[in-house]
Amino acid sequence: MCHKTTSTMTRAIAPIGFTQQSFENFLAARSEPGWLTELRRAAWEVFEKTPMPDRGQEEWRRTDIRGFRLERFGLPEMPKADRSPPASVLTQGVELAGQSVTLNSHPWRATLQRPWADQGVLFGSLDRLVASHGDLLRPHLARAVDPYYDKFAALNAACWTGGTLLYVPRGVTIDRPLHILRSMTSGGVDFGRTLVVLEEGAEATLLAETAGTDPEAAGLHCGAVELLVGPGARLRYIDLQNWGTGTWHFAHHKALVDRDASLQWTIGALGSRLAKVNQHVALVGEGADAQVNGVMFTEGKQHLSYHTLQHHEKPHCHSDLLYKGALQDKSRLVWRGMIRVEPQAQQTNAYQRNDNLLLTEHVRVDSIPGLEIEADDVKCSHAATIGRVDDEQIFYAQTRGFTRKEATRMIVSGFFQQVFDRIALESAREALGDAIGRRVREYGGVES
Amino acid sequence: MSDFIRVCKTSDVPDPGKELLEIDDRFVVLFHLDGEWHALDDCCTHDNGPLGEGQIEGFQIICPRHGARFDIRTGAAMTMPATRATPHHEVKIEGGDVYLRLAEE
Repeated sequence: MCHKTTSTMTRAIAPIGFTQQSFENFLAARSEPGWLTELRRAAWEVFEKTPMPDRGQEEWRRTDIRGFRLERFGLPEMPKADRSPPASVLTQGVELAGQSVTLNSHPWRATLQRPWADQGVLFGSLDRLVASHGDLLRPHLARAVDPYYDKFAALNAACWTGGTLLYVPRGVTIDRPLHILRSMTSGGVDFGRTLVVLEEGAEATLLAETAGTDPEAAGLHCGAVELLVGPGARLRYIDLQNWGTGTWHFAHHKALVDRDASLQWTIGALGSRLAKVNQHVALVGEGADAQVNGVMFTEGKQHLSYHTLQHHEKPHCHSDLLYKGALQDKSRLVWRGMIRVEPQAQQTNAYQRNDNLLLTEHVRVDSIPGLEIEADDVKCSHAATIGRVDDEQIFYAQTRGFTRKEATRMIVSGFFQQVFDRIALESAREALGDAIGRRVREYGGVES
Repeated sequence: MSDFIRVCKTSDVPDPGKELLEIDDRFVVLFHLDGEWHALDDCCTHDNGPLGEGQIEGFQIICPRHGARFDIRTGAAMTMPATRATPHHEVKIEGGDVYLRLAEE
């Protein structure tokens, strides 16, 4: 199939969904507080006015989305009755405090165990809870992620549906993980939004994962995640992006970490055809601490682009980012990381590191660490490495009786171990390790 | 090896001229120069720059990002910072139509 990219030869495609009328229909079908409808309308205006990003913008320079046709998608529709979400990979053997499952941005199931509900914890459908707890959530929704940042942020802010909320009141500790499974059928759309609010001194562990109903499922995810970690609160958040390899994934994730609070944020990026994710952590209170971990594995023609920001806004904060990626076939990874230190953020301690392992000849990595430091009493450093598997290690393992494939898997597993060691939850560690292990093929060698 | 695909009419691309095409999720620049037809991936092998947006000098195209030059007739990298050829696709003309066969990626 071919078409010229000029207007004269562009295929005529009837817009499916993103019209003023479809937006009005979407709003009319919802029962939401007026302030939320206003937020949606303002974001819709920005969405309509904002052009699609292109490679002329630094942030999109290495991510080509000319093949993406927004007009081929529409607002999320109810999945067919015979479809059901796939199984979770993160929660094997884990006793959960609650679970929220969506399919094609529609709530499928939401549970929260009694002891936590009795203590005022809210967990489940954001769509439903924002209607019943609008006054509570109004100060928090769209506080972290800028709804006008770009076309995708505006689209999600205007049209999010099938969202998930976790709200933990002051001083409440949830000692079992909660789980979000966001799933999509092939050709589906997910416009989910996750809002996590931990009030002062609260503590929780949240496992989130996305998955297609089949491994090659095509579709569109345009999402947002907001993590609001109150003073002295502790949040562990593990997020596995495991969409089918035909899915376009555009997302804005941002955390605000307040005074003496801590956030451990681990992402696994395995799925999608093309992913462009902004993952920002803002340290907005003195003594805040954030650890950001990333595990990325690509194959086929996948293109994953992750842009991280450790934003130190207050003094005496600590952040530590470690992203590791391995690539095979003709896939591509882009990591662009920034540590930004504001003038008042003295005594900042910040680190970022990105390591990459090339498993075949035709992969490509762009690893771009950056520092913007405006304070003069800080410790900030960064590192990036790109390398191939050492043939001598493969050879040695083969002399000990391993096949070449087993040796490759062992070396890749060892490469990621440094990140796995940071993940306290065994089920998540094993799920990530197994998922990568299944994908790794025999080391093909890379020319020096 | 893929089959030839009809991509446009010969009259769609002036001489000299170029046209950006999307074929099976791949972006390709079709060139019509001095009566010859050629096609390259729209990709500078230095940093995946948009080669098709570059200027043409003779039978060379210059990447607009860092100035790497490629031979339009072969895809060969002619100057730094590119060191590897960009894929060159076979083109044929039949009955006023342009056909293109994609090279291996």
